[in-house]
Amino acid sequence: MGVTCVSQMPVAEGKSVQQTVELLTRKLEMLGAEKQGTFCVDCETYHTAASTLGSQGQAGKLMYVMHNSEYPLSCFALFENGPCLIADTNFDVLMVKLKGFFQSAKASKIETRGTRYQYCDFLVKVGTVTMGPSARGISVEVEYGPCVVASDCWNLLLEFLQSFLGSHTPGAPAVFGNRHDAVYGPADTMAQYMELFNKIRKQQQVPVAGIR
Amino acid sequence: MADVLSVGVNLEAFAQAISAIQALRSSVSRVFDCLKDGMRNKETLEGREKAFIAHFQDNLHSVNRDLNELERLSNLVGKPSENHPLHNSGLLSLDPVQDKTPLYSQLLQAYKWSNKLQYHAGLASGLLNQQSLKRSANQMGVSAKRRPKAQPTTLVLPPQYVDDVISRIDRMFPEMSIHLSRPNGTSAMLLVTLGKVLKVIVVMRSLFIDRTIVKGYNENVYTEDGKLDIWSKSNYQVFQKVTDHATTALLHYQLPQMPDVVVRSFMPCTPPLPIPVPRQPPIRSPSPVAVPLDFPANSLRDPASPHHHRRLASAPLPVLATTGVR
Repeated sequence: MGVTCVSQMPVAEGKSVQQTVELLTRKLEMLGAEKQGTFCVDCETYHTAASTLGSQGQAGKLMYVMHNSEYPLSCFALFENGPCLIADTNFDVLMVKLKGFFQSAKASKIETRGTRYQYCDFLVKVGTVTMGPSARGISVEVEYGPCVVASDCWNLLLEFLQSFLGSHTPGAPAVFGNRHDAVYGPADTMAQYMELFNKIRKQQQVPVAGIR
Repeated sequence: MADVLSVGVNLEAFAQAISAIQALRSSVSRVFDCLKDGMRNKETLEGREKAFIAHFQDNLHSVNRDLNELERLSNLVGKPSENHPLHNSGLLSLDPVQDKTPLYSQLLQAYKWSNKLQYHAGLASGLLNQQSLKRSANQMGVSAKRRPKAQPTTLVLPPQYVDDVISRIDRMFPEMSIHLSRPNGTSAMLLVTLGKVLKVIVVMRSLFIDRTIVKGYNENVYTEDGKLDIWSKSNYQVFQKVTDHATTALLHYQLPQMPDVVVRSFMPCTPPLPIPVPRQPPIRSPSPVAVPLDFPANSLRDPASPHHHRRLASAPLPVLATTGVR
């Protein structure tokens, strides 16, 4: 697991989500990246059931249960600013049993699906974020395998992102700022995805018609 | 087919002889046609017979003429030369079934190819001999009599001594840790961990460094049995490149009589060598550009490729891109 940067690519003006994704993938292929299959990251939201709040009166916390096709045998459960649990796929079944404590938010499943490209030691994933039947945005994930310390290779990642995202290059993700020398792990990637999904959820639906 | 060069055959006469054969064939067939047609219709029987005989005679004369012509031409066409410059393989070229087994043309190509290969191999060996990579203590060309009879003592060192040298080097740098193990007999295997950047497996033969493999910090260096995996390469191209540099370095630093000097200079340290090298900054940056630069000694101080490193320093990403091109 190398250092990963997840960002959102805004949809080009006058174009649909599909077309923007195609533009990006064509740029990548011209760069020399090899297509290596597909990927999928999905996220379900649960909130703590009212019955457990009791006397403390705190607001219900949201818990996100995510899966990543890069780690097919794992399931990630994370709170907004809190800890992240990495469990195996039986955790989904466990969540059913924990219905009393965590209730699934309605229509909350959001996922991103797309193709996975390999370019030297970089792994680039361009996906369409969909919520239900509608496409809401584009997610771009770039992973640099050899390095595990975020602060060391951020400059290189930035340069690479600039080469194919151009002006839409993001700034340093928040997770990088927290720990400078700590080893980067998959939990950090999932935290980035969670932030991206939340941002997209808050955004309005993309007004261009014919998105599918 | 036979070459035009110096076969000893008069080709023009040959062509004329072939057309003479065709003429002969046609005149012979005319004779038989005439016989088949028989007598033509004329008023009297004698007239018919005379006409038939005259026609028949004409045809026979033309056959005779053509035959004489052919004989004359065949005398002009010489015999093909007896000597075979290609011996038996030249006879292969006369094989009529050229499509199914193109033996002769393939043979020629194979011959040309092997000639070129020999030439290139000669050039390559000349170039390679300039950089002597032999790590034995004896010089080349020393006769057997003058060669020292005793085995080089540096190969048979007590393992304790090797351990001491390695532990001394280990203490030199805070960010580099060396772990020594001996899973296969007396040769030491070092697992050098450099900060959070990379791990290097160094296989040694008493105090000589035999091989190195550089892998990423997050890559698995153990096999399924739990033993140190000394064979599999890194998954990342960056570290494959660094492995190449490290191997060049270990081939470059050779002092068969003083192997501990070699090991010290292979790791980063103020060298006992005459060339003073400034002390390297602590290992900080694993970004692949910086790795060949700041990463101490293993690749940087390799004078065998200073140009390569200068190039790497000046052009980070394009170089990466070119190294990625397969």
